Amino acid sequence: MQLLSEILLCPVGALVLVLLIPARAVQAIRWVCALSALMAGVLSVQLWRTYDAAAGGFQFVEIIPWVEEVGISYHLAVDGFSTILVMLTSIVFFTGVLTMWDLEIRVKEFFAFMLLLVTGVYGVFLSQDLFFFFLFYEVAVVPMYPLILIWGSGNREYAAMKLVLFLLAGSALLFPALLAIYHASGLGTFNMILLAQKAFDPDFQIFVYPFVFLGFGVLAGLFPFHGWSPTGHVAAPSAVSMLHAGVLMKLGAYGILAVGIRLLPVGAVYWAPTFATLAAIGVVYGAFVAIRQTDFKFVIGFSSVSHMGIVVLGLNLAVLGKAGQDALNGAVFQMFAHGIMTALFFSTVGFIYDRAHSKTIADFGGLGSQMPRAVSVFIVAGLCGAGVPGLASFWAELLVFLAALKTYPALGVVIIVGLVLTAIYVIRVFSQAFFGPVNDKWDDLRGLDLKGWQILPRAILVAVLVYFGFFPSALLDVIDGTTSTVLTSFR
Amino acid sequence: MSDIALFLPETVCLLGALVLFCAQVFGARYGVVWGLALLSGVAAVVASVWTWPLAGEPFFPGVYRVDFFSQFVKAIIAGGFLFVAAISGRPQTVRSDAWAEMPMFLLLATTGMMMLTSAMELVTLYISMELAAYPIYIAVALHRSRSIGGESSTKYMLQGMVASAITLYGLSFLFGLSGSTYLGTISSQLGTLATQPLFWLVVLLVLAGFLFKLAAFPFHFWAPDTYQTAPHEVVTFVATASKVAAIAVLCRVVALVAPAGVDAAMASRVLMWMSVAAMTLGNLAALRQGDLKRLLGYSAVAHAGYVLIGIQTMTGAGLTAALFYALGYAAMSALCFLVVVEIGRDEDLVSIESLAGLHQRAPLLAATLLIGLFGLIGLPPTVGFIGKWFLFSAAIEQGQFVFVLVAAINSAVALYYYLLVIRQAYFAEGTSDEPIHTGVVTLAVAGGTTGFVIAMGVVPGWFWARSVEAVAALMG
Repeated sequence: MQLLSEILLCPVGALVLVLLIPARAVQAIRWVCALSALMAGVLSVQLWRTYDAAAGGFQFVEIIPWVEEVGISYHLAVDGFSTILVMLTSIVFFTGVLTMWDLEIRVKEFFAFMLLLVTGVYGVFLSQDLFFFFLFYEVAVVPMYPLILIWGSGNREYAAMKLVLFLLAGSALLFPALLAIYHASGLGTFNMILLAQKAFDPDFQIFVYPFVFLGFGVLAGLFPFHGWSPTGHVAAPSAVSMLHAGVLMKLGAYGILAVGIRLLPVGAVYWAPTFATLAAIGVVYGAFVAIRQTDFKFVIGFSSVSHMGIVVLGLNLAVLGKAGQDALNGAVFQMFAHGIMTALFFSTVGFIYDRAHSKTIADFGGLGSQMPRAVSVFIVAGLCGAGVPGLASFWAELLVFLAALKTYPALGVVIIVGLVLTAIYVIRVFSQAFFGPVNDKWDDLRGLDLKGWQILPRAILVAVLVYFGFFPSALLDVIDGTTSTVLTSFR
Repeated sequence: MSDIALFLPETVCLLGALVLFCAQVFGARYGVVWGLALLSGVAAVVASVWTWPLAGEPFFPGVYRVDFFSQFVKAIIAGGFLFVAAISGRPQTVRSDAWAEMPMFLLLATTGMMMLTSAMELVTLYISMELAAYPIYIAVALHRSRSIGGESSTKYMLQGMVASAITLYGLSFLFGLSGSTYLGTISSQLGTLATQPLFWLVVLLVLAGFLFKLAAFPFHFWAPDTYQTAPHEVVTFVATASKVAAIAVLCRVVALVAPAGVDAAMASRVLMWMSVAAMTLGNLAALRQGDLKRLLGYSAVAHAGYVLIGIQTMTGAGLTAALFYALGYAAMSALCFLVVVEIGRDEDLVSIESLAGLHQRAPLLAATLLIGLFGLIGLPPTVGFIGKWFLFSAAIEQGQFVFVLVAAINSAVALYYYLLVIRQAYFAEGTSDEPIHTGVVTLAVAGGTTGFVIAMGVVPGWFWARSVEAVAALMG
């Protein structure tokens, strides 16, 4: 078996094992998940190290015909983008399992659904067959419903249903669009690499592209279809929010890139100004709304809308040519950086919530002196969100901003306003919750700060943010080659 | 001898029904009857599969056609009967003095459905259709509550008879137009017939009876009522085997009247609108249901709409997709009804609320229901996903982008009510913690069918190849 199948097998194998282990053997279930996540992580790092960035293109190809009559095959391959997104998934998966280590309600079912979700995510990033791509996409989305419903908090029923309905409404747009691409190609194959080489009729591309873009865009939290995202984040349990904001939303952006931009370049160029505007509105709007939130998780939820707006904006600027290379590099880098950053956010907020049972920002006052470790971790994530140099997001956002200024100066200015707003809401949270007057109510929390192994998942995430903040080229080198290949259609 | 071999599945079913009749006349215990029913089911499946390689026209030429299509479908129908027999170990919603009769009637209906898939002559077709229908009308009436059974059966029968009268009316026109009752002869005159609008109107009239069985708009009104009130085991049969037979015969008729090169746009257009109406109406009505079986009834209407997507394309790919989906759909809804049968032992009506706490009371049943509903929603890794993929693909191939978009949005709407059921089974706290005891046979059947639904979704290759082969035999 080859590397990519092995990565995919980690969650699948763990899922089978978890289903076989009796529900009361909670510890065994946790260990199976943690080990499978660790193994997936090791394999992903191996993938990242062995992927030949200089050569670029698709590597580690595996093809097994599946339904030959209609051209469906089990076809895995990675390019530079999916390589780093697979690594992102593994990091969030592993830290997510660790974050949920203390879960005690229906543990077996929780991890089973979580493994199913992760399987779907890996599947999307690895598949180069349009059918399997879509199949894994659906596999990734659906477990969110039980995960939020059963283990969530607050308005979870509403949030869970809203999320799934939004996302599957997005799939409803994708369904006819993907099939239309298949039939219009006349190739009789779902092989995305072959489909990408086919020059589709421009009118067809212009017609189908919005379906693909909006269908995936819903999952990427695209304004004005983002409504599901903040409510979903807020209601979900920590690890689910981590996976959801950290990885799942990236599937949407990746879908736009892998299906929309790769297969329908003419359509992408035609629609780019419109969709870039939507994305820019999302950046500013998300940040604005985040300022007014009183709930920790809502702040992060809307910040995700804002930050994912930067990704989608980058994707649209990429096809417009003037600073395509920077825009696409930045967008993909931002997917990674934002994934790690929100995972850190939710992992920490979840931790504080589990101890304090409150998510109201103003309620905390000066938590900084009561839970210094948890607060420090949160601050790292917050600084990353604000784009402070030395952390991974800085490079990503910088690249997209530069591209925006070069392509549409007016848009660039708007985005910089968004950045300022981000700084405002981040600092507001810091001052109201962490460095305000100490609230005696929380003195009990002093002994409950992060300790021992609880530090591990957060430390991993912080380390990743810092490492790639100082060594962005470790990622950019992998991305850059693929960016050039993708952008050849636009020169 | 060879004629007998070609007619083997039907013969087995008839003999089985006869044996069941005798057993009941001689007052055999239900355990014995149940065993015999299971045996007949197994024999019917084996006989159908054994006849897969055979082809021919037994008894009278041109009346009855045995080909891979018919035998493949017969195996599915027999499988449907076997499934129902297997979960009928204790059919408590059936009147206790009629327990022994229920399998017999269902087996007779099975015979009728099998004949329906092979019938190539109008009178044979009509008689088969009635043979498939009447035993079910009676079986529905066997409900332990006479008033419920009576109402349910009357509604079903009256509407069924109206639909079959429309079919008969259509058949008489068909005979008048072509001068023959042989479908083969009629199809050879297509060159002159297909140019007349009247012919296509007649074809639609003929289809009425089958659309009724499929619960497609505008012949769907019986479905929610009958589903809700008929004995659980009987509904299971109606929702599985009966649907497959209806889809099969629709495929048969469409393949005959609209082979490649014939312009069937008008009939195709009508079927498309029926499909849109069925799925929209079924899904919207299902949103507000509180009764699980009634909800599944409306969901059946919606699924009739999905199947029509494949049939209205009138192409090989579309019919193949319809057949493939029929097989998958039968298995998916069988799973849901298995759970209905198990939790509804003591209830005439099964409300969605009564599912509360199911994941604690019966984790395996909850999982069965989950997979069944995932299938109906159309989620991977079940067959529901790839089945819809094939159906939609066939329509997109004909350039029906907007139609498929409507269908896909419909699936998203449907998600809501299916999720409410899942929510109830997995999330709501039940009033009692008392475990539900499920028989070994039922559990084995649940496991097997769940495996089947997932296998068809994960490795569809074999099933798809068989469907292609079957439709090739049909069109050939």
